Amino acid sequence: MNLSLSKDLTANSLIVWSELVKNMKFLTAYPVVFIFWTIFPIFWFIPFLLQGQAFVGGLQSPEFAKLAGTPNYVAFVILGGILNSYVLTSLYGVGESMRREAYQGTLDYLLSSPCNKAFILIGKALSESISSTFYALTQLVVCVLFFGIEITLGVVMPVLLVIILLILGLYGIALMLAAISLQSKQAHDLAHTLENVFYVLSPVRYPVQSLPSWAQMISSLLPLTYALIAVRSLMLLRYDITAVYYEILLLLIIDMLLIFLGFYLFNWMERRTKKSGSISHY
Amino acid sequence: MKHGETVLYSIQTKDLTKSFKKKKHRGIFGFLKQKPKREKADEEKPFTVALDHINVKIRSGELFGLLGPNGAGKTTFVKCLSTILIPDKGTATINGFDILEQTQMVRASLGLVVGGERTLYWKLTAKDNLMYFASLYKMPRNAAKARVEELLSLMGLSDRADERLEDYSTGMRQKIAIARALLHNPPILLLDEPTLGLDPTFSRQIRNQIKTLCHNEGKTVLLATHYMKEADDLCDRVAIINDGKIVAVDPPSQLKAIVRETEVLEVACHNPPPDVESYLKGICRDAEIVTLIRGEEPKGTPFRIKIIGGTAEENVELAIDALRRKNVQIIGVNVSMPTLEDAFIKLTGAKLTEETG
Repeated sequence: MNLSLSKDLTANSLIVWSELVKNMKFLTAYPVVFIFWTIFPIFWFIPFLLQGQAFVGGLQSPEFAKLAGTPNYVAFVILGGILNSYVLTSLYGVGESMRREAYQGTLDYLLSSPCNKAFILIGKALSESISSTFYALTQLVVCVLFFGIEITLGVVMPVLLVIILLILGLYGIALMLAAISLQSKQAHDLAHTLENVFYVLSPVRYPVQSLPSWAQMISSLLPLTYALIAVRSLMLLRYDITAVYYEILLLLIIDMLLIFLGFYLFNWMERRTKKSGSISHY
Repeated sequence: MKHGETVLYSIQTKDLTKSFKKKKHRGIFGFLKQKPKREKADEEKPFTVALDHINVKIRSGELFGLLGPNGAGKTTFVKCLSTILIPDKGTATINGFDILEQTQMVRASLGLVVGGERTLYWKLTAKDNLMYFASLYKMPRNAAKARVEELLSLMGLSDRADERLEDYSTGMRQKIAIARALLHNPPILLLDEPTLGLDPTFSRQIRNQIKTLCHNEGKTVLLATHYMKEADDLCDRVAIINDGKIVAVDPPSQLKAIVRETEVLEVACHNPPPDVESYLKGICRDAEIVTLIRGEEPKGTPFRIKIIGGTAEENVELAIDALRRKNVQIIGVNVSMPTLEDAFIKLTGAKLTEETG
């Protein structure tokens, strides 16, 4: 391998690693986060259990199976919630990260350094994904122990693949949000809006067939929709990976499009705000 | 310009111009409100010119001061040179690299201190902060570790390297900000108000470090400041900037020569009337400029009235009598040789705030 290319690769990996370590140190600088991590994943299930009890009289519903393919309503919703948590961390974590740098007064230093900003953003995204994954793993353990979700070795790799593809698509959206926040100086409300769009239009708590046809069309543009269909097919319906090729392929196409648009918009907005002078405004 | 070539001028600007669109902060229902007169006037002139065709050449190894009051354009100048902002017109070269065309090389050539102590991660230790920023400059890990230790030692902070910055004092954090600028050993340093808000001891330490960096290590330093004494003591040459324009560039001694022939009468006092400048100008003989430099009343720092021009001996009595008639409490009177501040006042008609650095 060309020496300078190898040096560049090492240097860029170090940027990603340093960003990841920095964010993990921020996260662990506040001890209250451990309370959140240990208690909330367990509390989080209670509303779903009670809801299941109230609507279908337990964990199973034959009526629900007609739409969703599985009678296990609670497991269906819990998997939806776990995957949706990646939406939350991507939008709030990565999307708002540039605003946080501006508030801290460090944005100017990131912008005036000679590194490619994409690697900083990748580091930010990775740290968010790692914390989400810890959280999701705790929830998954509870699912396996109490809600009849079985995880076999054969299902782990395909599910991981789907989650990685979901995260990549979400990064593309988060990059767009980060780009917009450079100009608008406020990402929280937009992130909140997008969070709700995902929550309502993706099959987080109900099958996509429950949505009106126009909403199903919008839903078909969201990466979470395909990720949820694929993960549920693999984990609840015990389908083989070949049964979800279509979802994986669509996820891949949506990811490429979103990541391209994300980087394009970020670079364009960075230049625009450098010209207008608003880049380092608070 | 190729990497590694030496250049006569480390920083060179050509008609560098930057203006900002004036923002209207009227809120969602702003259209319902009647526009104030000032805002109507602003709409006729929707841009603020922050830099107006700036042309300067800063030699390699020079300690160059950029002196001006708040809002004069100093920070915008530094941000344009460091590629944080893109100028509207004109360009500049840093270490021979064009700020619009060769941004990566420009960034690698610069060490930047702008924005003070809040530009670091307070939840991280000094060492973590420096290691993080070293990675952004693509420094190999081992080289970065050695450099961080060297800089912490230079700043006298080795024994507190593993403490979070939230436990540091303002002066210590500013030292870390300077250490960050030196991480990749850049040939050029852009320092924007590096001693702002520091106590005299830390200010002195930082000024000494700036001198050493320039004179012993051969770095080119652009020091943007509003502290007259700092510019006078440290800089080989000083550019005076006001309203986005450079009004003079010379060594401090030559700038002072602009007012050499004049005597400066200075009256320290409390509670001067708001119209004291025009009032005294009408009374003192041949006074070219009368200017009031605000004190900080809560701290007990008195106001200073400077009368430049005329004969101080004649004007002392006239000024004191006139001020007493206005019930001004006079604390002291001093006749002095002109300072850089007097040259600044004469050149710009503006005045800086009271020095605390």
